[in-house]
Amino acid sequence: MEDSKTSRRGFLDLLLSASALAWLVSVAYPIIRYLKPLPQSGATGPTRLTREESARLEQNKFVIVPVSGQRVIILQAEDQLHALSAKCTHEGCTVTYVPGQSGLWCPCHDGRFDLNGHVLSGPPPQPLLKYVAQRQPDGGIVISEART
Amino acid sequence: MDHGEKGGGLRGWLERRYQLATLIEFLSHKQVPLGSHWMGWYYLGGITMFFFVVQVITGVLLLMYYQPGEATAYESIRFLTTKVPFGWLIRSIHSWSAHLMIVSLTLHMFSTMMLKAYRPPRELTWVSGYILFLLTLGFGFSGYLLPWNKLAYFATTVGTNIVASVPLLGDWLLQVLRGGPDVTVNTLYRFFAAHVVILPLAFVGLIGSHLLFIQRQGMALPLGAKVAPRGMKFFPSFALRDLLLWLACLMVLVSLAVFLPYGPGIPGMDWELGDKADPMAPAYPGIKPEWYFLWEYQLLKEFPPHLFGLEGPQVCLFLIAILFGIWAIIPWLDRRAARGQASPAFSDLGWAAILFLTYLTLAGWDIGAGGAGSDLASMPKVARVSAWWTLMAGMVVIVFRFWRYEHRYFVLTLAALLQVGLHGFFGVSYLMAGVFSIAAAAFAAATLRLLRSGTAGGGGP
Repeated sequence: MEDSKTSRRGFLDLLLSASALAWLVSVAYPIIRYLKPLPQSGATGPTRLTREESARLEQNKFVIVPVSGQRVIILQAEDQLHALSAKCTHEGCTVTYVPGQSGLWCPCHDGRFDLNGHVLSGPPPQPLLKYVAQRQPDGGIVISEART
Repeated sequence: MDHGEKGGGLRGWLERRYQLATLIEFLSHKQVPLGSHWMGWYYLGGITMFFFVVQVITGVLLLMYYQPGEATAYESIRFLTTKVPFGWLIRSIHSWSAHLMIVSLTLHMFSTMMLKAYRPPRELTWVSGYILFLLTLGFGFSGYLLPWNKLAYFATTVGTNIVASVPLLGDWLLQVLRGGPDVTVNTLYRFFAAHVVILPLAFVGLIGSHLLFIQRQGMALPLGAKVAPRGMKFFPSFALRDLLLWLACLMVLVSLAVFLPYGPGIPGMDWELGDKADPMAPAYPGIKPEWYFLWEYQLLKEFPPHLFGLEGPQVCLFLIAILFGIWAIIPWLDRRAARGQASPAFSDLGWAAILFLTYLTLAGWDIGAGGAGSDLASMPKVARVSAWWTLMAGMVVIVFRFWRYEHRYFVLTLAALLQVGLHGFFGVSYLMAGVFSIAAAAFAAATLRLLRSGTAGGGGP
């Protein structure tokens, strides 16, 4: 008799705990899904530099533009165009071009990269992602993701 | 009938409804223990509370003009500081009070640690205080982005990127924190919600528990004492002293806010609005986080790109998590203090932690670079000058502890200084110097233990 009462009580406790857990999950799941942002929508594929961006490239020897939602730095060094991800692989700061040193520099934690994006010094663990920069017959510049 | 017994007036009216006599009776017996340590340490919690109240009041005032949004956040702060009467003052008080709150909270935490006030039965008071400290750092971090200027943008980019190193959950956490893969206006909305609603609610709830624990258990007695040698009545003696100190804090706060409205001009303690955030602009030289995050910033720089097959930032985050974890469970680690015995190793751990933070903060500040910033050539000089100042501070601390508190255990403090010295003066990498110092400290601690057990054994039959 006592055993059957105990097992009934145990069963009800289990049922109650399972219901409480299910209730918690049903509350938490929509909140978790709500907090996770939706995938970004916007232009993807090759990007053509605007006239203003091209002028800044001429003037500063580099310009940072959005390409498929990513920050990309285009720079002109030794008459050659280079396009690399502007996002430092260390902690995500935006790198800058240092013409005097022929390389890229992240001022946040002093990471340095060469013109091909390879790490020269500092804490960045990975090279910068390369993009393709092509000058069009009409003088415009088109940036696209590099095929690997 | 009962009405007459409880007297008339407002007090009687309240008494009949809420029976306040019991509460007044409890408060009239509340005592602050006075004994072997300086009474000043007891005021730090109240001072922190005072700055928090100032934060709430000035924060509400700022909310009346601030408009979160890509085209409005920066502009509304500029309008507030340049056009609104006393807008600059309210913002300045809010900023100064935030920094002073972190100063007083840090001092409160370290004084609690050194006095071993965390020992049983006050473990949860320590843990709740520790979480309040983390929430305060969260306030600082989330508030930093709200002006939507360049410095805020990059500080948030770096600060949020750190969570990407968390195994398995890193990417999800980063997306949730930023509201997308990058820092955008969505991040601003999320940080605004955290800064003005989520964190204050959590903070107020937790501070309620923290105060309840203190009220139930009273303030900790000096280590080893069963009863307080002396005591001071909380009401009115201690409360009036608290009040006087808050008035002094208000005077200092307002003076700082008036005479230095944009901070003292030190990197990491400067709230000039500057340029508006531009995700397509490069980070600029000399960019620094707030002073209380400088040690983490510098530690990230000291890690090589790869270590143990993992990326440097991942290992760094792991190390920071371990250090924070150890700090959280100190009441359970310090078993000697739990038994009411002196625990010199934990006092020494506290001082070693202070010196560890001091060196990294000084190096993060580029002390000794002569304004050159963190270029490669100046790094050894920065390490040397920062090491020199840390060693000086360390020596003063050791002499003071030896003379004033009769401390005789300096293993961890010396290990912290050894690491700094090896790195700053001999060019050994920071991590290698750390490994060597930990090994030296372990050897020294084991030798001391052997010597002590030998001495104890020698005295026996």
